[in-house]
Amino acid sequence: MGEGSDQVTPAFEAEALALVDRLYRAALRLTRAPADAEDLVQETYLKAFRAAERFELGTNLRAWVLTILHNTARNRARDRGRDAVDVDSEIVERAADTWASGTRRSGAPETPESLLRRDALAPTLQAAVDALPPAFREAVWLRNVEAFTYSEIAAMLAVPAGTVTSRISRGRRALHEHLQSGLGSVAGRRSRDGGTDA
Amino acid sequence: MTDCRDFDPFVTPLVDGALPDVERLAVEGHAEACPACRSRVAAERAVRELLRAHANALNAAPAPAGLRLACAGERSRAARAAAPPRAAAWQARLAPFALAASLVLLVGGAFLYQATARSSRVMAAELAADHVKCLGLNAALGTHQSPEAVERAMASGFGWQMHLPGNPSEAGLELVGSRPCLYGQGKVAHIMYRREGRPVSLFMLPGTTRSQERVEVLGYEAAIWCAGRRTFVLMSRAPKGEVARIASFMQSAMR
Repeated sequence: MGEGSDQVTPAFEAEALALVDRLYRAALRLTRAPADAEDLVQETYLKAFRAAERFELGTNLRAWVLTILHNTARNRARDRGRDAVDVDSEIVERAADTWASGTRRSGAPETPESLLRRDALAPTLQAAVDALPPAFREAVWLRNVEAFTYSEIAAMLAVPAGTVTSRISRGRRALHEHLQSGLGSVAGRRSRDGGTDA
Repeated sequence: MTDCRDFDPFVTPLVDGALPDVERLAVEGHAEACPACRSRVAAERAVRELLRAHANALNAAPAPAGLRLACAGERSRAARAAAPPRAAAWQARLAPFALAASLVLLVGGAFLYQATARSSRVMAAELAADHVKCLGLNAALGTHQSPEAVERAMASGFGWQMHLPGNPSEAGLELVGSRPCLYGQGKVAHIMYRREGRPVSLFMLPGTTRSQERVEVLGYEAAIWCAGRRTFVLMSRAPKGEVARIASFMQSAMR
């Protein structure tokens, strides 16, 4: 193992490995291919363990590891000649306009009904989020599902904080239009590939 | 702040509670005075709340078991075993609810069209899931459509030239709106009403015929009937006799 593995404490290792599900879901969102997502997650852990001594105790390990994952995804995509997540904001905005005009048309105790409602809505929401342009999807997910701050998201996506809020705003607006226009599924829908992402 | 063009960059931080007090007051003041900007805030807030409410379900899918092992192995500790893969949280919670569990699997994409063709009860259960899901969406998004908008949607989406009951209040009904819903190998029309605060769904399944019957599933009453090559399913949690009366009203008043 490379340098830094001696700096990995059992606590750090356990806390980092507890994030594997989250990292895999993030990797799948970025790569859209399960095999590529697994590779990305493994490479992320290798880098995280190697850089363990640079992690500042008491700060957000989840944000730190996800930043490594996003940086690694961008580097891999750049090496392949494609951007996994759009870096040029102008291109992102134009792609989003094209997408939007094309798609515009349509604790308390759990009961069977509340379970049905929650779990019937989740696939619809997931499909709607999956249909967003990649940069908006990532910004909305990191803010609304993972609850990161604007500055944490800015570091992960390597964009200014203003760009983060702009992408969240456009992503939420697009989601609202998509959900209002209908085509909710009785039997579920398969999420579509975003088209411009790796 | 008086200009709507200046308002847009503040919506997301306002909704996220990330504005300093002075800015927040100015932005909220403008939203109070401007219906368009107020709608903009409401729409973004609705989406934010929907995603937050379902964050656990959206974040439930685990990584493949092999990946856990591979990542643990990155630390070169042969003795450390990976944590056992856990069932998706929503599946584990639904285990005691047999029909609800199989219904969620259906919603998740494991739907078998052949099973529905044979069983009215399974069809009603699937539509009950859609009724519940659309109810949640309507509540979150504040859906409210006119009869003309619904009739146009039926004509354009299904080639169904229809007219809703002219006076739904005779049956205590208030129109909410409509939605096309994916089902089996096509779409169904879903027209939504409220009656005394309780949601009522009317589904139209094109190109299908079924016998007239009433079924009860997951606490919902469903009245099923056929007109031409269309099957209608009226569904609500209303008491037994009430669903039959509403169905009878819809059959006679809808043209």
